[in-house]
Order: sequence, then C-alpha cells, then structure tokens
Amino acid sequence: MKAIQRRTLLTATAVLAVVGLAATAIPAQAAEVGVSSTEIKLGMTLPKTGTASLGYNKIPGAAKAYFDYLNANGGINGRKITLVDKDDRYVPTEAVAKTNELILKDKVMALLAPLGTANVKAVASSVNPARRGIPVLFVNTGFSGFADTKKYPTTYTVLPSYIMEAKIMGQYIKENFGTKKIGLLYQDDDFGTDALAGFKTAGITFAVKVPYASGSQGAAAAAGWITKFKAAEADVVILFGVSSATSAMLGTAAQLGYKPQWMLGSVGGDATTIKLTGVPAGVLYNAIGFSPVPATTDMTDEYVKFFSDIYAKAVPGSAFDLNVLLGMNTAFMTAQALKAAGQNPTRKSLMAAIDSKGATFANSALVPAAYSKTSHVGLTGYWVGKYSPTGDLAPIGGTYVTYTTDSGTGAVVKSTYKRPAMPAKGLPN
Amino acid sequence: MQLLNTLLIGITAGSIYALMAIAFVLVWRSTRVVNFAQAGMALLSTYFGYEAVSRFGSFWIALPVAMIGGALFAALVELVLMRLLVKHASTGPIAGVAPIIATLGLLGVIRAAVSMIWGGQDLRIVTPISNNGFTINGSTLVFSPLKLLVLIVVVVLLTLLTILFQKTNLGLALRASAHAPEIARLSGIKVDGVRTLGWALAGAAGAVAGLFQTVNGNGNFSPDSIEFSLLLVSGFIAAVIGGLDSLLGAVLGGLFLGIAISFVLMYISSALFFIAPFAILLIVLFVRPQGIIGVKAGRRA
Amino acid sequence: MPKNKRESTHLPLFILGGVVLYFLSGMVDELRVYQGASIAVYVIAISSIILLIGYSGQVSLGHGALMAVGAYAAALLRVEFNCPIAVCFIAAVLASAVGGALLGAAAARLSGPYLAGTTLALAIGLPSLANQFSILGGEQGLAFDVGFPPLALGQDFTQYKWYFWIAALAALMSMWAVRNILNSAYGRSWRAGRGNEVAAQLAGIDTARSKVLAFTISAGIAGLAGALLAMTIGTVSPSAFPLALSFSLLTGAVLAGITTLGGVIIGAVVLVAIPEIADVVAHRLGGSERVTTNLPGLIVSGLLILTVLFVPNGPVEQHRARKAKHEAVHNSTKK
Repeated sequence: MKAIQRRTLLTATAVLAVVGLAATAIPAQAAEVGVSSTEIKLGMTLPKTGTASLGYNKIPGAAKAYFDYLNANGGINGRKITLVDKDDRYVPTEAVAKTNELILKDKVMALLAPLGTANVKAVASSVNPARRGIPVLFVNTGFSGFADTKKYPTTYTVLPSYIMEAKIMGQYIKENFGTKKIGLLYQDDDFGTDALAGFKTAGITFAVKVPYASGSQGAAAAAGWITKFKAAEADVVILFGVSSATSAMLGTAAQLGYKPQWMLGSVGGDATTIKLTGVPAGVLYNAIGFSPVPATTDMTDEYVKFFSDIYAKAVPGSAFDLNVLLGMNTAFMTAQALKAAGQNPTRKSLMAAIDSKGATFANSALVPAAYSKTSHVGLTGYWVGKYSPTGDLAPIGGTYVTYTTDSGTGAVVKSTYKRPAMPAKGLPN
Repeated sequence: MQLLNTLLIGITAGSIYALMAIAFVLVWRSTRVVNFAQAGMALLSTYFGYEAVSRFGSFWIALPVAMIGGALFAALVELVLMRLLVKHASTGPIAGVAPIIATLGLLGVIRAAVSMIWGGQDLRIVTPISNNGFTINGSTLVFSPLKLLVLIVVVVLLTLLTILFQKTNLGLALRASAHAPEIARLSGIKVDGVRTLGWALAGAAGAVAGLFQTVNGNGNFSPDSIEFSLLLVSGFIAAVIGGLDSLLGAVLGGLFLGIAISFVLMYISSALFFIAPFAILLIVLFVRPQGIIGVKAGRRA
Repeated sequence: MPKNKRESTHLPLFILGGVVLYFLSGMVDELRVYQGASIAVYVIAISSIILLIGYSGQVSLGHGALMAVGAYAAALLRVEFNCPIAVCFIAAVLASAVGGALLGAAAARLSGPYLAGTTLALAIGLPSLANQFSILGGEQGLAFDVGFPPLALGQDFTQYKWYFWIAALAALMSMWAVRNILNSAYGRSWRAGRGNEVAAQLAGIDTARSKVLAFTISAGIAGLAGALLAMTIGTVSPSAFPLALSFSLLTGAVLAGITTLGGVIIGAVVLVAIPEIADVVAHRLGGSERVTTNLPGLIVSGLLILTVLFVPNGPVEQHRARKAKHEAVHNSTKK
C-alpha cells in the first residue's frame, strides 16, 4: 500500500511541475472585443421557439435584413455588421446561459435588443454586463426600471415604457369610457406589475384584473379568463400580454361570442401575428390599439415602404408586421450609433455616441427619443388607433395624433413632434 | 353562470386528460412501466393526423389514421426499446429508474425528430365540428358540440376498453401477462405479443388525446406548444390520482383533476396555472396514497 | 483480496486533486472555467442521486426541487441578513435536509409510480411556489451574490475563477464526505435494505429510519449543489430549476453508474460537454437550420437511451465487471 501511495505522489508532483510551468502564459492585450478590421459582432437573445415566441421570432430575420442591406452598401466605415441570435425560449435562466455564450464564446461587442423583462433583469444581475462595460442596446421590453442609469448603466431602452403606455391608455379611457367597467389581462411578472403601476398613476380602477402565469397562455386558459371577465361584466377589456396571450384570448372569445370593447397593448397587439393564428379579422374590428411607429400597412410612409421593400427581398413570403418594422428600426438606429462611435469604435465610444446623438438618430417612430447624457430613455409615446374591418391598425380619423409622457407622474400631452425625413437610401449619414 | 362555466371548462379539460390517463394506465397494466414518452407519441400521432388531413381533407379520416399510426409506433417502441430494457436492465437499482430514463430519452428523441421533420412552427388542424359555445337564453356556455364529442368519445373508449379487459379472453391475457408473466406463459399465453398489444392500444388512445387537444384549442400545434406539455404532465397526474391500476380510475382522475384545476384557477387565482395540478396531486396522495381507485400496495415482499 | 479493517479516508488524494485543479484553472479561458464550476455543481448533485437511488434504492424525480430549497435558503440569508457566504451554504444544506426528511417520511407511504409522481410534482410545483411570495422574488428571483474574489488573489482574478474555486472546493469536500458516509455503517445498512429489506430487518437494521436518513442526507447534498448553482448564475429563480434539471441529474447518475461514486466526474463532464459536442457535430454535418437546431437534442436524448440500454450500470462498473469476468476466465483456464 505504502509503495503505491508514494508512486502516486511522485507522479502527481511531476504533473504539477509541468502544469505549473505551462500556467505562466499571459494573454496578449486584445483590441475592442467584437470589433475587427472587417466586422462588428452583435448578439441577441429572444424566444425563437416556445409559447411566447409567436411573432417575436421574426425579429432576427428582420434585423439581419437591414444589416445585410447596410453591409452591401459599405457597412459601417468599411466593417460588416454581424448579428448572432440565440434562442432563450423566454426563460430567464436560459437567457443568462445564452448571453454568457454570446459574451464568452462568440465574443460580441454589444448585446442588441434582448427580449423580455424577466430575461433582461436576470441577465443584468447574473451576467452583469454593467460591471463588464458591455452595452445592452435598445432592449426589447418596456419595463420602466431599465431607464435607471444607476442600476443599469450600460442599458438603453427604445420602446416606450409600460408605465407610459398605461398612462396614455388611461387618458384615452377617461376621455372615452368614463363610466364603463374596465377589465385587465396582464402577465404575472414584472412586465405586468409595471403596467399596474402605470394604471395606478393614471387613476384607473379595474372591475376585474386577471393575471396569467407566463407560459400558460392558450385556449384552455383563455376560457377561464373570459368567464371571469363576463362575471365582472367588464365593458372594456385591456389585453396587456404577449402576442400568444392576446391571440388565445381573441380566438376563444370568438368561439364564445364574447364581444367587449377590446383594447390591445402594443406588446401583443400586432394584427398580422394575431390573424395568423386563425383569429377572424372581424374580432379585431373596432378594437383600440397603440403603436409608436407608423402603421405597418401605411405604404405612404417612407420608412414603412423602404423597410418593407428590403424585407420582401430578404425574406420573401414572410409578412411585414410590427415585429419586423420594430426589428429593422432598431437595426437602423444601431447602425447610426456604430457610425457615430467613430472610425475605431469601442464599447465606451458606442455608448457615448448614443448619449450625445441618440435623440437625433433618424428612425421611423412618430414620437421623439429622449437619449441624453443623463437619460437612457428611448421613445416616449404612442399614437392611438383602431383596427379596421380587415383587422389592421390604423390611426383614428386617418391622421396620426401622438401623445407623449414620462414614466413618472408627468401629464400625458399631445405631441407636436415632426419626424425628420429619412436619410438618403436609408443609410446612416 | 360563472359556476356552471367553471364546471364545464373543468369537464372538457378533464376529459382530454382522461384520454391520456387511459393511455398511461393501459401501458402500466400490460407492462408495469410508466411511459413518460406517452405525450411524445401523442404528438407524433397528431402530426400523422395532420398529414392525413392535408392529403384527404377530412378530420374523420385523419382520426383513424392517427390512431393506427400511433398504435403501430407504440408497438414498435415496445418491441425494440422495452424488450431490450427488460433484457439488460431489469436487475439492481437501475431497474427502478431504467424505464423512466429510457422513456424520457424517447420523449426527447421524438420531440427533436418531429421538429426536424416538420419544423418548429405552428401547424393547423381545423376542428371538424363547431367549437362555438352553445347559447342558452342569450348567454353562451363554455361548452360546444366539439367538447361534447370529446366527452362522448371518452365514455365510449372507456366502455369498450373495460369490456375488453374484463369480459374477453384477450383482456384476461393482458391482465395475466402484467401480473404474473411466468404463469401466463405456462398457460400458453403469448406474453410478449400481448404486452405489445397493450402498448398499441395506449398509442391509439394517446393519438385521440393529441388530436382532440389540438382541435379543442385554436387548432394550432407545434412540438413546444403548451397543449402537449399539459397532456404530458396532467395526463400523468390524472393517471396517478385515479390509481394506476384502473381504467375507470383514469377517467375519474382526469375529470377530478380538470374540475379541481378549473375551480382553483377561477376562484383563487389564474396565475396558479402551473402549481395547481401538482398541489392537487400532493393533496390527493396525502389523503389516499394509492389513488382514488387504487389497490393499497402494502410493503413489497 | 482481504480488506483492511478501517479503509483509509483517502484524504491526501482529495487534497492532491485540489492542488491540480488550482493550477488547471489558471490555464484555461473563462468559458472553460465557468463550465468547470458547472461540472463541480453537477458532481455534487449527481452524487446525491447515487446515494439515494444507487445505495438506498429509492427513486426521486425531483431533486431539482431540493436544490431549489437549498438555493433559496442561501439567497434569502444573503439578501435579508447579508450573512457570510459559508453560513449561507451551511443553511442551504440544513434547509434542504429538512425538506428531504419530510420527503423521506412521505416516501414511506408511497410506492413505485406514486412516489415518482409525488417527486415529479415537487420538481415542478415547488420552484413555482416562489412566484406567489414576493419575499422570494417572483419570476425574476433573488440575487445571490457571493461577492468579489478577495484582493489577496490579485487584480486579474476573475469572478468566474472565484466561482470555480468555491464550487471545486465544495465538490471536493462533499465528495470526501459522501465517500466516507457510503463506506460507513450507514452506507452498508442502505445497501442491505436495498438488497433484501426483510433480511436487513432481521439483521437488526431499522430500514424505515435508514431510508429517511438516506433521503435527508441526499437532500442536504443536493441543497449544497443548488446553492452553488445559484452562485454561478447569480440569481435564484423558479426557472433555474426546471423539470429538465431533475432529469439531467438522473441522466448524469446513469451515465456515471448508478451504484458507483467513482464515475460521478465522468457523468458530470458528459452532462456539460455533450450539448456542446452535439452542437459542433450538428454544425459539422450541416443541413438546414431545422436540422442543426434540433440535432443536439436528438443526440443527447439518443445517448441517454443507448446508455440505459447497453451500459446500465455505468462505464466504471461495466469496466470492473468486464475485468472481473476476464480474470475469472483467465483463472479458470490456469491449471
């Protein structure tokens, strides 16, 4: 026994010595991560499969469609933009794992448009991009907390916050449905809690509030929701959930002949996505909806026309909807940020570029963005629309009337913002 | 009204869980294995049904096609997988976990294969009869011709299977092969063949469950849809609640589970969607560890 | 070969392992270090399964839930009372051990599939319970921050290396503990009860109590793994403990060899490495996106089935069995 032990000890020591020698290698100092002389790499996590993925899984294709167009026209200062997208199935811990891969394996320069309130929050506390100086650009969620620059110093929002949306909804309800009973369907996590906070600020009291567990949305659950709304005799029902929840609700409502005044939140309000699940257009007719960007069927809008042309060539056969428009819009803003970051962009210069010039970036939104050295807040409002007989959202009365507000107690005001013309050929100048 | 609708929602959901539970019980009674891949087989059968609808345009042709397809696939699994399992891994501590792990692996394989062949996007099977709620005195019930059909199918299936098990020689052979395979062999029963038959029947039941679960929703389905996760989990729970040994227990378990979940979601909170089935399982097992119509197991000799 | 009266505790071996790991962690890039931490976590978790199923013969499909209990206990102490990390980990072990004791007591009443159903219920239901109590942080969960590496280790010492060190140290300690528990009187009483319960009782072993003890210890170890898992992710939330985790542990235990502790490292490494290897293979083989996204899942599940069919007692045991057979044949042909 003793002999064997001694031999083991000797061998181990020898191994250790060799290993110790090899362990003295010091890695060379690298240039900015994710930036090479020919390429800039960005990373995105979102639900590509799973119950929440409905509609949102078109976003990577949309962003890439714009980036490919951009790359074919010289890229950014001679560099091509590459987008690496990973499926997190809307599960926060998977978002953490995939984001780790993006940072450690794919070595991206910045995280672009990660989707989901809970997911972005989980990544912020686990992966901690803030501590590592990694920009988290244009997050695909309206959670108002992400505008807190102390907690999320490298994070930039783009979508108007859920509090802003709830306040604008609240104003519309007060003006048009003052005495009616209001019902709310919301997701049982921070996404929903933000909305509740906004409605509270707006002074709206609900006759009934129905939370759904994220991932449970389907026809079976929807029957239960409808029974609750009916029991409370809600006249107006606000659907503040993801697309799959909205379509489950509307589809089942059609089967049960339930026809309240619908009000759709922008997150789950894309008509094309909803109709693709089989919801008849008639169900959407006269529902009220909100959007910060022009209607996706409005071909008179130069941005809509431009983006839909590119998308039709890049992904033929795929319908141009709100997810596509927002995806391409974000890609467009990202390109401008990278250009403004200078000839040799770094993570720091990228963020500085958004801080100083972000508010003036050209983009399709009909409301202004509020980026500044002290604010990482993106878009600040919505226009109110009604769904047409064909189930498409269009501004009430034909012209866009936009409202802006903040995520605090500021009032909801009509906006006088005039959107600047699109730069030539849709390329950053 | 709300009470009635809650009950109806529960009965509808419960009847589909009952179909899955029947499949679990069939496998358990014929081979004493819990087949975690049951929902995967139901998923595959639904895709068979989808193909049939695409070719022949009729749900009523698709249903038997799916059932036959499901039965054949299940039989194949029993022939290949389960026999090997019995040969290699039926002794030692692995014996307890081996079937569980093997069927779980099979579930993963089926899901991945289906995604590879048909893709992960939503496909659609349109309901054969109306899924619009019945209207009584101006208010609409959460009950439709389709949901009524599902209920009828469950009852018919239960009756046919019970007659098979209790009143036919084949049924006797099935029961004997599960409880005492050696003695059954000595009596001249082809035990292996009979076990395969048990699996085939389960496969057919699962196919019915999968198809009806799909058309009962909005008709859309995909490998990842919530509907199939529900089939897997709630079907199993319904079978356990009912007591794995009895087909009637499976149906009662399914209905009980469906109704209980519906009431919890309606009157406590709809956010308890994922907790409710398990809480109900724990409560039932606490009160009756052998399930509603289970036989008290007693200490294993 | 006659065995010694007291088997050595093999402490020097474990210390040696620690030193080797110390040097290894300096050599590899961050991703590998992070994976190393995950492997350490799996080693601990899988060893708890082997203890329960392999030695005590009881099946649990829900060790993910026990890991969750440990993780939440550690995180709560950290968030609410800012306890030192070591205290948090000890609390994790104790909390989940209590859970295990309760589960073990319940397991006595349930047989076979009913026990499976119950543990399955816990695996899914228990983590989701956190959603209902705001103190447990809901869907986003609680942050579990073990803090920065001490400055004494130098400026370049990354956070992930720190995680790896803590996890590896915990793994070495727990492996040493489990090894000695399994070789002790408790371990022998479990194996006796698993083999033939009646005979064990006749030999004077209180099988009911030893079964509950097995659950308790197994749960405590799982709780430690859970807290470490929370450390590597930085958060505790329901989605960190999905049903898939419980099944992965079973898979790892089968791959390791459900009755042998020695194969645990193999099992853990395979669990962490297989998805990555499958990914590489899928991309090598090419094909449409449909194929490449799903091929890894197919490979992993397929491997699981093949392992359970053909190497049911794990590679280490298989190798031993083959060697023993070979020796027996060899000895019998000698005259």
